[in-house]
Amino acid sequence: MRKAILILAYIMTALALVFSIVPMDTLAFLPIGIALLCSLVVLKKSTDSNRKIPKILLTISVLCSIYVLGKMLLIKDEVAKDVQFEQHKVQENKAAKKELEEIEGLE
Amino acid sequence: MKKIVLLLTAIIVSCTSTSLYSQTIKSGEKFVFAGSYNMSGLLTHLAQVTMTTENLATSKNTYLHLSCELATFSKWDSFFKIRDIYESYVNPTTLKPSLYKRSIDEGGWTKMEKYAFKGNTVSSKSKRKNRPETQKTFSIGGSTQDVISMFYKVRTLDFSHYKEGQTLSLMIVFDEKEVPVTLKYMGKETINAGNLGKKECYKISIGAKTDALRGKDKNLIWLTADAQKIPALLKFSIPVGTGQLVLTSASGI
Repeated sequence: MRKAILILAYIMTALALVFSIVPMDTLAFLPIGIALLCSLVVLKKSTDSNRKIPKILLTISVLCSIYVLGKMLLIKDEVAKDVQFEQHKVQENKAAKKELEEIEGLE
Repeated sequence: MKKIVLLLTAIIVSCTSTSLYSQTIKSGEKFVFAGSYNMSGLLTHLAQVTMTTENLATSKNTYLHLSCELATFSKWDSFFKIRDIYESYVNPTTLKPSLYKRSIDEGGWTKMEKYAFKGNTVSSKSKRKNRPETQKTFSIGGSTQDVISMFYKVRTLDFSHYKEGQTLSLMIVFDEKEVPVTLKYMGKETINAGNLGKKECYKISIGAKTDALRGKDKNLIWLTADAQKIPALLKFSIPVGTGQLVLTSASGI
């Protein structure tokens, strides 16, 4: 049982790391939460001699949660300036004017 | 006699429409929303939605250009970039649409739609990525709107006389067909309305017989209970999940 939870803790900690690095926002808390839970369970089920690995996994998960929380609070959500999109809008506006005049011509 | 009947009808119609639609939409409005999407039970900030109004003049007429843009936050752009625009060109007084355009770019998947409204006929053109352009002409009712102009039309409704549970039926054109839409007034709630602070709002449920919306009373909109009826919060349930749009700033009102 301990081994199974330890494997799950490994997988979730790895996922937590990946989700923290990539911009997954609050979604990263999902693997982080599971990793924290699994690490704690393994830590409780471990003897003094084999507590090193769950402690490392627990530390990584805690660090990941602090990192994600920090990113959420400090980095502002912004839309990047998109020149192509802006040009597309200008073109669409010009085209719309023509199309409206065509519709007016048909009325 | 005929003229008197016509005049009376015109007066009755204008009185009815005044009581139903109490306000016009101004040019220069800008509403910015933060869009969040529910991923595995967690609301994740995904995109910014900007709704603007501006006048567009042709050689014959002046139209009100209603625009709704959706753009993913820069952190998502390298993974799944979305740049959608929904536009409607309407009569500034009646909000009757003349032209509706939809340009979608979602992670490289593109779709362009154009509906030209001529009386009770709509000529549509649709083009999806890697597919040939399709054209269609179909008839609509006299009061049928496109999805964007309907949204603004709802803002002109006078909900102060509505009773809780009271419904109103509208027709919209979506995905090249007419779709009935039902609005249900669900009372008043106080909502945080971005830079406007806490506002008392009308809570309205939107139901449509389309695959685009799911659930009963799960598509909701809160409009400030004042003359402007600014959308403060929108909650939606679509086939791929649920989400919400929270008003962050309102200007030009």
